[in-house]
Amino acid sequence: MRASLVLPLFLLASACDEGVEEPPFERGAEPAYSPEAPVARRLTYDQYQNTVADLFGEGILIPGSLEPDTRVSGLYAVGASVTSISALGVERYESAAFDVAEQVLADPTRRARLGSCSPGTVRDDACAAELIANLGPAAWRRPLTDEESARLVTIAGDAAEALGGFDAGFTYAVAALLQSPHFLFRPEVGELGEDGVRRYTAWELATRLSFFLWDGPPDEELRAVAASGALLTDAELATQVDRLLADARARRGLRAFVSDMLQLADLDSLTKDPTIFVYTSAGLGASAREQTLLDAESLVLDEDADLRKLLTSTDTHLDRTLAALYDVPAPAREGFGATRLPSSGGRRGFLGQASFLALQAHATSTSVTLRGKFIREVLLCQNLPSPPAGLNTAIPEASEDLRTMRERVAQHLEDPSCASCHQVMDPIGLGLENFDGVGRWREEENGVVIDPSGQLDQETFADAWELGGTLAAHEDFGPCVNRTLFRYATGRTEADAEQPLVDWHADGLQESGYRLRFLMRDVALGPAFRVVGEVQ
Amino acid sequence: MSPIWRPGVVGVGPRTRKPRVGAPPSRRGFLRGMMQGSAVFVGLPLLERMLNGNGTALACGGAIPKRFGLFFWGNGNNPTRWVPATDGADYALSEQLAPLQNVKAKMSVVTGLSVKVPNLLPHTSGAGGLLTGMAPLSSDGNETFAGPTIDQVVAAEVGGDSLYPSIQTAATDANGQSYNGPNSQNPPETDPYTLYERLFGASFREPGEEAVVDPTLGLRRSVLDSVSTDIVSLQSRLGAADKARLDQHLTGVRDLETRLARLEEDPPSLEACSRPESEPLASYPDEEGRPQISARSRAMIDMLAMAFACDQTRVFGHYVCDPVSNNLFPGASAGHHNLTHDEGGDQPEVNAITLQIVTELAYLLERFDSVVEADGTLLDNCCILGCSEVSLGQTHSLDDMPIVLGGGLCGTLRTGIHYRSYTGDNASSLMLSILRGMDILATSFGSEDAYTESGLSGIEV
Repeated sequence: MRASLVLPLFLLASACDEGVEEPPFERGAEPAYSPEAPVARRLTYDQYQNTVADLFGEGILIPGSLEPDTRVSGLYAVGASVTSISALGVERYESAAFDVAEQVLADPTRRARLGSCSPGTVRDDACAAELIANLGPAAWRRPLTDEESARLVTIAGDAAEALGGFDAGFTYAVAALLQSPHFLFRPEVGELGEDGVRRYTAWELATRLSFFLWDGPPDEELRAVAASGALLTDAELATQVDRLLADARARRGLRAFVSDMLQLADLDSLTKDPTIFVYTSAGLGASAREQTLLDAESLVLDEDADLRKLLTSTDTHLDRTLAALYDVPAPAREGFGATRLPSSGGRRGFLGQASFLALQAHATSTSVTLRGKFIREVLLCQNLPSPPAGLNTAIPEASEDLRTMRERVAQHLEDPSCASCHQVMDPIGLGLENFDGVGRWREEENGVVIDPSGQLDQETFADAWELGGTLAAHEDFGPCVNRTLFRYATGRTEADAEQPLVDWHADGLQESGYRLRFLMRDVALGPAFRVVGEVQ
Repeated sequence: MSPIWRPGVVGVGPRTRKPRVGAPPSRRGFLRGMMQGSAVFVGLPLLERMLNGNGTALACGGAIPKRFGLFFWGNGNNPTRWVPATDGADYALSEQLAPLQNVKAKMSVVTGLSVKVPNLLPHTSGAGGLLTGMAPLSSDGNETFAGPTIDQVVAAEVGGDSLYPSIQTAATDANGQSYNGPNSQNPPETDPYTLYERLFGASFREPGEEAVVDPTLGLRRSVLDSVSTDIVSLQSRLGAADKARLDQHLTGVRDLETRLARLEEDPPSLEACSRPESEPLASYPDEEGRPQISARSRAMIDMLAMAFACDQTRVFGHYVCDPVSNNLFPGASAGHHNLTHDEGGDQPEVNAITLQIVTELAYLLERFDSVVEADGTLLDNCCILGCSEVSLGQTHSLDDMPIVLGGGLCGTLRTGIHYRSYTGDNASSLMLSILRGMDILATSFGSEDAYTESGLSGIEV
């Protein structure tokens, strides 16, 4: 446990002077911060989709595949800072850009949003320039230079003449905007202030905020305070962060973070043998993800409650698919409804959800190792070594003597070279053996009553229900969510020199009563979001 | 507003063929028009590229290019069921290699090679070590290859003359194993129909057909030119790592520009080239929770054969499945990777999966051998490297790697033999032999423990 320091009075006073709402509790002074070099993130698939929707309105179809997102250090958000665009990706982005542009120009409502000028001739550079002046800064999240605008006007004009229509020509300017690295990447490099501190520019800061909190681009108001530079003041920054968190798009942003942290995108390719798991179905992965995301939304954004309840609450959201799987009444005829799981059912929190239980399992069986590993690595941020090469990794097959997974694993763990690692994973996973490979409750395995008791570090638990509580109370859980959020927000793993700041945010999370909404605000207002190191 | 027409060279659109109706006139049609409809035949440079300097013979490696394909599968084999009992020319295929019987004379089995990088990252050490000759990089849970994979080394040398430097395909939902360098992967196409649209969509021309005439090609190039300008200007503001990432982006943009320009040229007059007889299915949905691996693989192989024959590309990577992948193969009671670790005894289920994979390799080699090219077959003019990232999956072993070399690469690689190294030779030496067979001037392959300056002379002619 970390001791919380008393906030010096002068800091509190200065914060109040500038209109920043102080936290509802005392906290330690923000540590000195040594900034890191900037990284340019590539838009993820979801961010591309969200950006198109925000720029041109909902409902535009984009191709099902763009450049694949890559998970680095567990997060797509970090992968976005190291991956490039392949030759195939260039093709796909080109095709997508024209697909989007054609849909925008073909739809009178979307077309009207681009601007009001009526082209006088097939080639009308003035009108094209007006449309580009409207769309360009929204697409590139900064004002265009004169040279850039002129280049796009020329593209539109040349295409208009070749194809015999203004809109046909302007399609090419839109496609040029959407294929540009200024659109596909988020270059945020900062500029040196008069005080010798290098800070993100107002436009860069606006972009960081909106992608962090909305998983999409700045809206008109955010662009306005970026253009005026007002966003660089503490007061306006806080105003905007609170506005963004109160906006409906914060749901999209929260869902993006939760999906990334819990690897929920993998549910798209959930593979289960339907002859073994009769409650599996083609839509199970999507339903499972939605349950977890709806629970997170209501807990974090509607209730602003203790994050740890995600591990212990019986309040949840189910559709008919999941209600059947969990053997409870469906709360809604169509789609999802809020409901409360029976307190006697043994199932509560995220560890009782198919998004975890089915994903962290095999196609035809459970996996005590995968489940234990996920809890260690993703929920507690504890690193586990890879298995050594040259090891016989076989778990003994089920037999008369080894009927349950517990019995089979026990023999596996007699081999000391296996035990050194599996001892920290498998006993946790054994606590979840009452849930089969898709998350259906079961009392027995091969005719033997399952013993779900176990131990997580120093704490013993009787079953999965208790494991949820043990995990929620684990001292590493809050700091782990904090570290993951910091990485998600900054798009990189923290440097050693940043550890004091990461710890400071973790303390804030704890002092706030484990409110993730507070932490998101805290990180958005924190120095890692505003100050940047030299380009290297 | 006039319709915006673009050829389907980029393959991510709706699942219908773009209608040819209303497409801009072909160049030949345009020339005909110029001649007022009189019966003027505008000649194409027939067979020009099929003749060597003397205009007499069809020369492999000259007019007929040498080509390289990677056939990769994840999770290894079982050496005791894989390695043929005897070596040399007169050998019998083993149990796991039996499906290759029909093409035995046109391939070689190479056993006994070792990947020499430290085996620290299960599966990744083997994949990176084999295909790049370098130990993969790992930091904070991020594993990536340290350099370009063999297919990209080849593509960098020979890919520039074809429409695509390389084509990557996967029969399952795989990431593939093709890298340009760290964190720069070439993702495979996983959807056969999308691949068809890219390779044989509206912009494809058979030999003898007119080149595409389309004003939008030039307009698209001018857009790409603007994107290139943006990339270069952005690079000036970024750090070294981000600059390198944008270099990769720029390479892709320039490739596409070149490709669009080539569409306006007459298609190469290659005798073996023709539009595939049938299109792949619009989708290959899972059946009973199991992917249609064989059907998807074969649909892609059929297209890759024609992509080679039509010189759309000279390099491919085809992935049945990734390392660590857990696909449910037909008949298997659990995922592939699970079984390699968990199945007891001599692993009959893993064996059955390996046989299915080798059967797909056999399909590839037979399919390529069915395409008549010059005085032989397409397969004769290729090197198809069939391999996995480990040998015995259960232990992640990097010794006695499973390798099949299909095709003689225009007579530069030996066929019809089982070559066995009894001294655990460096697998990089095989890569060096392949590069040399491709006429690529390479003095070495790999680094550190996996470094070599010697080819594998036993498989070189």
